[in-house]
Amino acid sequence: MKRSNINTLIATAALSGLILSPLGAASAQSLKLSNDLIKIGVLTDLSGVYSELSGQGSVKAAQMAAEDFMAKNKSFAGKVQVIGVDHQNKADVASNKAAEMIDRQNVDMLVDMPTSSAALAASEVAKTKKIPTFVVTGATTALTNEKCSKYTFHYAYDNYMLANGTGSAVTKRGGTSWYIIYPNYAFGQDLNRQMTAAIQDNKGKLVTPSDATPFPNTDFSTYLLKAQSLKPKIFGTMQAGNDLVNVVKQYNEFGLRQQGIGLGIGLLFETDVAALGQDAFAGAIATVPWYWNLDQRSRDWAARFEKAFGKKPTWAQAGVYSASTTYLQSVARAKSDNGDAVVKALEGHRFSDFFARSAYIRPQDHRMILDVYTVQIKPKAQAKENGDYFTKIATIPAAKAFMPLAESKCKF
Amino acid sequence: MNTQFLLIQVFNGLVNGAFYALLSLGLAVIFGMLRIVNFMHGALYMLGAFVAFALGQILGLGFWPSLVLAPLLVALLGMALERTLLSRLYGLEPSYNLLLTFGLTLLTQDLVKQVMLSQYAVSSAPYTTPTVLTGVVNLGFVVFPKYRLFVIALALVVCLVTWFVIEKTRVGAIVRASTENPVVTRSLGIDVGKWVTGVFGVGVGLAGLAGVLAAPIYSVEPYMGAELIITTFAVVVIGGMGSILGSIVTGFAVGVLAAVGAAVYPPMANTLVFVLMAVVLLVRPTGLFGLPEGAR
Amino acid sequence: MTVLSRRAATTQRERMSRAIWLVLLGLLLLVLPRLVYPVLALDILAWGLFAVAFDLLFGFSGLLSFGHAAFWGSSAYATAFLLSHGQSVPVAIVGGLLSALLLAVPIGFLSVRSVGIYFSMITLAFAQMVSFLALQWTAVTGGENGLQGFARPSVLGLDFSNSTTRYYVCLALFAAGFLVAYRMVRSPFGQALQAIRDNEQRAQSIGYNPFRFKFTAFLISAGLAGLSGSMYAFGHGVVSLEVVNWRTSGEVVMMTLLGGTTTLFGPVIGAGLVLLLRDLLTTANLPVGIVTGLVFVLAVLFFRAGLVGTVQHWLRRKSADDDRH
Repeated sequence: MKRSNINTLIATAALSGLILSPLGAASAQSLKLSNDLIKIGVLTDLSGVYSELSGQGSVKAAQMAAEDFMAKNKSFAGKVQVIGVDHQNKADVASNKAAEMIDRQNVDMLVDMPTSSAALAASEVAKTKKIPTFVVTGATTALTNEKCSKYTFHYAYDNYMLANGTGSAVTKRGGTSWYIIYPNYAFGQDLNRQMTAAIQDNKGKLVTPSDATPFPNTDFSTYLLKAQSLKPKIFGTMQAGNDLVNVVKQYNEFGLRQQGIGLGIGLLFETDVAALGQDAFAGAIATVPWYWNLDQRSRDWAARFEKAFGKKPTWAQAGVYSASTTYLQSVARAKSDNGDAVVKALEGHRFSDFFARSAYIRPQDHRMILDVYTVQIKPKAQAKENGDYFTKIATIPAAKAFMPLAESKCKF
Repeated sequence: MNTQFLLIQVFNGLVNGAFYALLSLGLAVIFGMLRIVNFMHGALYMLGAFVAFALGQILGLGFWPSLVLAPLLVALLGMALERTLLSRLYGLEPSYNLLLTFGLTLLTQDLVKQVMLSQYAVSSAPYTTPTVLTGVVNLGFVVFPKYRLFVIALALVVCLVTWFVIEKTRVGAIVRASTENPVVTRSLGIDVGKWVTGVFGVGVGLAGLAGVLAAPIYSVEPYMGAELIITTFAVVVIGGMGSILGSIVTGFAVGVLAAVGAAVYPPMANTLVFVLMAVVLLVRPTGLFGLPEGAR
Repeated sequence: MTVLSRRAATTQRERMSRAIWLVLLGLLLLVLPRLVYPVLALDILAWGLFAVAFDLLFGFSGLLSFGHAAFWGSSAYATAFLLSHGQSVPVAIVGGLLSALLLAVPIGFLSVRSVGIYFSMITLAFAQMVSFLALQWTAVTGGENGLQGFARPSVLGLDFSNSTTRYYVCLALFAAGFLVAYRMVRSPFGQALQAIRDNEQRAQSIGYNPFRFKFTAFLISAGLAGLSGSMYAFGHGVVSLEVVNWRTSGEVVMMTLLGGTTTLFGPVIGAGLVLLLRDLLTTANLPVGIVTGLVFVLAVLFFRAGLVGTVQHWLRRKSADDDRH
């Protein structure tokens, strides 16, 4: 890792500050904030296809994080603000608004960023302006590989974690033969590659090479008929959002479940289950970083969120809360909102909150790792309450859930 | 890749073809009679699915009554829009209609989304297959969902009836006359405006019908018609703008082409229709069934 | 006044009003980065020139292309690709323009024979194929992740990491492109083109070859769309699949119609309005589709000639009234 001397100097100063004064005792004099304010910019999709799983809910989550933090840390009272900006899922709008928020509105941190191209574009801007950036809803592993940046942190999940979790868990449970379809773009290709590797590592096999479907796509009957004739134990779908809803709807229609073909899902959001009803997904297996009724701590937070926002949180929204809190705490430790100082305080940080267990921020590639869960979707009859979707079938420890450092192509 | 699998895909493609045929038939009827390119067609298709969903939620109506009622409601809405908005633009440059119907598309999509979000957690609507048609049936060469067979059959009947009415009956003759030569038709004592509105209603009603039919098998969400409309434009153009028979035949053919394409080289499946369109237009500039410009 | 002298006075007045429009637009563009965020200002330039390029074909040749994203997008990709492979900014911009032109040769050759909706659809078909290629050819386009973070090495001491500097470089390119369009429309070539648009058979009978004229117009339009595409890539430092999507082709149609076709200034104003609206909606917390849709519907019902066209009509009617008094 190479760093300029100045950066190291600032970082060392911040670190010594941390050692000398315990957290929370930061006095007003030693706390250095630009404009005497910490401004969190939630760059998200407020109008398009991801607005329901992130969107206004993400903005609300960041606001909650700010309020909770200010209540706990009196020296920051009244000093944390949150703004939400719509990037409309366009890379150019994302880069434009990221730059404008930083230049004109003095935003100190960016968070959320669904859509890989938008997340990468914003990350690039944040790099030149030295602003810490927490990608939560964007999935691409490029963020911690060839496109990694000293100022970007990838929170909650990524392609590797999804594919690895579901591929291993399902194969271990006896789903040893697979037929996979994936949307024909970077996200799908990555997911397919990782899933295939995970299946093979667990002594499973693909019955036929995976098929790359057009994106977006409505009708998947050709592939379902193919699955019907190949009779794999598991039909793996790497589609996301509306495409996933279409696949699952038609998987049921073609009666594959009755024919003994299980369903493995790459990326699943709570909103997908809500869109189709949980019975359509019943029995399918996916990997998630969190869900609202994981345990009592999660339930408590989810109840507060639901009271404030009117809907149960998705894991993406919970991730935005956790990421915002993690950032704010690192500002407290660094006693500064200077980008370099905060990055230094974040690197190697170990923590645990209602969302992230055994969490650790890897200094080498800025991947935030945490325990993740392989879940099976319950039929409606077994749901104890509204939104009770998942049965946990395995916990994947943080150290095993994400791409090993040795494989990362990241060079800051 | 064996021959039997390809043959199955030919059959399977008829389902998608049914949707293309119903949609492009509606577009062709509207274009043939009114010379309007209705960009809103995809949004009205979406609306058909959502109206069916709403009828179920509010009035507790099942699939069968919705199959009749939803297209009628969509047709009524279409006729209201034609009377109040589209009719102001007749006789002007056709691109104004494109702008207007494009604006209405954005408006409709977002309205549906906002209404859904205010009522439910998500903007997509779950919609299930009617009980009689759930499950699969073994056809000997393939195990196929019953509902999809119904879609093919119903679409075929509706398409043929529409074609028959327009090409072979007195009603059809009046409709054709009132658009090809409104002045003469008017002099025969026929209220042309009323016929135009009616035809527009039939065209968008077909889109509404396609929407209800799609609800049990495709994701019902506000943007479900957005990509489809572009493919449908291509179908109409390949068939020949305004040609009734052309749009029906091409609709089914493109469905089959996409399904076979998906079996042979999946990534290309949705692009094939545009390749076909380019080739057809280069060989026959007015589409497969279109009459040369000026021949009308 | 005699009829003739009145006509002379009118053309005189039109020339004056054109000059006033030109000066107003020029002044506006000079101060634009002070009024709005520079990258947004840059966007207005790029999309503005793109809309002008589109209108050359639509307004002046009567050909509504529904596939202009192919030229805008391929040029944006080429520019970004060249920049990320160590080429200088001028090389990358020229490279982008050339790639668009190169693509326009076969597409234009095959499509300008069609008319009306068929022309729109055949251009759409080719653009969809380009879009498919962009998705597949990830080595060049970066696929879904897109291209970002490419270098923009300084030239002649100009620091391109500064967005205001980039803006004024693009303003120069914009001016050059706009001048080409302006000269083309007023030239005998442009007059012939409009004659063909209005009555192809008559134009043919007095010796014009419609194909040659339309094909040339297509190339010029695609070239300018290419120039604007490379301005976009250079200006933003980001290129994603959005640039070759059919929505991009649709957006430029809407911008042109909103601003006013055949006015040359109109498309630029239209582009500015659409982009400002889009920018406003990123923070306004309003439903984007409802607002944008309403704008289009109202525009077509009440400002059918586009904003610039409506203002021009209004001024013309006013001056005609003045004549009568």
